[in-house]
Amino acid sequence: MTSEKMIIEVEGLMKHYGEVKALDDVSFSVKEGEIFGLLGPNGAGKTTLMEILCGLRRFDEGKVNVFGLDLVKDPYKIRSLIGFCPQETLLYDLLSVRENFAFAASLYSLSSRKFKERVEFSSKFLGVEEFLNRRVQQLSGGMKRRANLAASVIHDPPIVILDEPTVGFDPNIKREFWELMKALKDHGKTLLLSTHDMYEADEICDRVAIMDEGKIVALDKPLILKKTIGGEASIRVRVKDDQVEKALKLIDKYNHIAKDNEVQVFVANPWETMPEISKKLISQRILTEKVEVVEPTLEDVFIKLTGRRLTEEYK
Amino acid sequence: MNPIVGIAVKDVKTFFREKGTIFWTIAFPVLIMLLFTAIFGRDIPFNANIGIVNEDGQTPITDAVISGLNSTGVFTLRNFTDRNEALRELNATNVRAVVTIPQNFSFDLMFTNHSKISLVVDGTNPDVARLVEDGIKNFFTEYYKMLYNQTYNMTYYEPITVNAETSFVGQRIGYKENIVPGMLCYPLLFSSMVVSTGAIVYEREKGTLKKIRASPIRPINMLFGKTLAALFQTAISILVMTVLAVTLLTPRLNWNVSLLAPIMFLGSMNGIALGLIISCIGRAPQEASNAATTIGIVLQFFIGMYFPIEYLPIYLQQIGRVIPMTYAAQAIRDVMVRNAALNEIVMPMITLTASATILYAVGVLLYKRWVEKE
Repeated sequence: MTSEKMIIEVEGLMKHYGEVKALDDVSFSVKEGEIFGLLGPNGAGKTTLMEILCGLRRFDEGKVNVFGLDLVKDPYKIRSLIGFCPQETLLYDLLSVRENFAFAASLYSLSSRKFKERVEFSSKFLGVEEFLNRRVQQLSGGMKRRANLAASVIHDPPIVILDEPTVGFDPNIKREFWELMKALKDHGKTLLLSTHDMYEADEICDRVAIMDEGKIVALDKPLILKKTIGGEASIRVRVKDDQVEKALKLIDKYNHIAKDNEVQVFVANPWETMPEISKKLISQRILTEKVEVVEPTLEDVFIKLTGRRLTEEYK
Repeated sequence: MNPIVGIAVKDVKTFFREKGTIFWTIAFPVLIMLLFTAIFGRDIPFNANIGIVNEDGQTPITDAVISGLNSTGVFTLRNFTDRNEALRELNATNVRAVVTIPQNFSFDLMFTNHSKISLVVDGTNPDVARLVEDGIKNFFTEYYKMLYNQTYNMTYYEPITVNAETSFVGQRIGYKENIVPGMLCYPLLFSSMVVSTGAIVYEREKGTLKKIRASPIRPINMLFGKTLAALFQTAISILVMTVLAVTLLTPRLNWNVSLLAPIMFLGSMNGIALGLIISCIGRAPQEASNAATTIGIVLQFFIGMYFPIEYLPIYLQQIGRVIPMTYAAQAIRDVMVRNAALNEIVMPMITLTASATILYAVGVLLYKRWVEKE
């Protein structure tokens, strides 16, 4: 479904909040029909970038084109092409889901015929049919988020911008939401989403831009990023708390990092070395909880690039 | 749906679902109207307790004085046998004045044609003191005239006679006819301003303004939508107040809807525009709401709602004359009391239109500036 046509083109984007550089020479392009992720910790500049694309914030320097339209010259045309789904639920509690949709549709001057069609489609497609006529205040958190997403795409925009759409979700609802995003992609939408969840970026994004301190520090497909920057696979050993010293003596000859009761061993061929390590641990009667080969994650990529974890916030 | 209508429909629907808001939208005019009906719905809108000490005993003259004071309707008399006791009640502000009819009052009046009455007035409230003093003095002047006419069977003439007449354009009015046009300014001043103050600041607080701003709707259209909803809510307040005024006070006024409606509309637009300005300046809903209430309370003294602006010191009158709502109050009064025609209220209408346009433009600029600051 992904084409090679670039529909969002950002070039040399700069944004300052006083002395602080929120965005520092950010450049990237988003292909039509792909899910493009912005991955980074809180404060990396993801939300600022998304809000600029949605016309909520101005930028100091650079150029943004959406479908060939200049964001500065044609902000209203561009806004009509984007569906914005922020992390907070922006629905009116006292109105029903349908009434919220009607309001959202009116902002885009949708005709009543088109609105009817879209409500029918969205409610089935995004699973809001059963609570369409219920007031938002009566909905669960998950229902609200689904309704929020549906309201964001009620005008059938080709681009959907989602700012940390699954933050605070439990794993089941998160997975359900990922499926919804993939379904939107299958219906030809281009999705640009921000997240600080490496699994989310890995699971659903076609390409990921890793952001740190207002800059894009790496951009590619998750698999390529992991392979080229994340390093080789390693062996992870987790032992009982009182066995850590004994285990470390055994593993000492390998290149390793230990933290609490977990030791990560870096060797050239982890799949061959893992049985050898297991055997040694068993022979010394060291009680192990887990011995496994772990592939590099986007978190590893981020750590390699910045020296920090994704969950760390900027001071 | 048109985005302006969409925003207005959303706001009106939300309004109808907020039971507390509906309650206060209706309760506010009801309370104000009931209060004003209780105060001004009577023929004589003033009554004070007066202590009477009759040291002259019961004579036809003292009987006539006491029953005469009683029948004015302005005073409620309390009889005291001891003057000191009456003065203690005066100090306790249980009575507003003490009238002492001295010994030989009737005799002196009949045979020397001159007598004295002692009047002590509570000075803690200058307005009440003045009304009570004037009322009692006038009563005795009139009483003496009546007594003179009866005794000498001829008309008493004061040295200079002032022939006073009252000019009325329209019909003769009473207190309630005077107060109703002023009360109809309440929704223009309070409902419109308070409703529109909440319009942006609450959306901003809740975060929903983000959604509106991320859509292709232009700021001016967003404000138009908010204005439509605020106009609707103000109209409800005006309607409730009008119905109550007609049913409770039954004032003899000219209800020329074709003239009153545009004045009300322009007055509301001024209030709404002012509210939008406050909404753009206020950072939190509470701050904006407090600002709107404070401004409303202050403005009501400047615009001639309760009393003519001539009551104000000159420098405050000048302020009153630059407040657009003064012209709405004036135009409403002109139509309802003076039966003014369209050509007679053109100037206030032009002033209201110009001020609404200017205030609205300032509101739009402030909103745009706030958006740009983001």
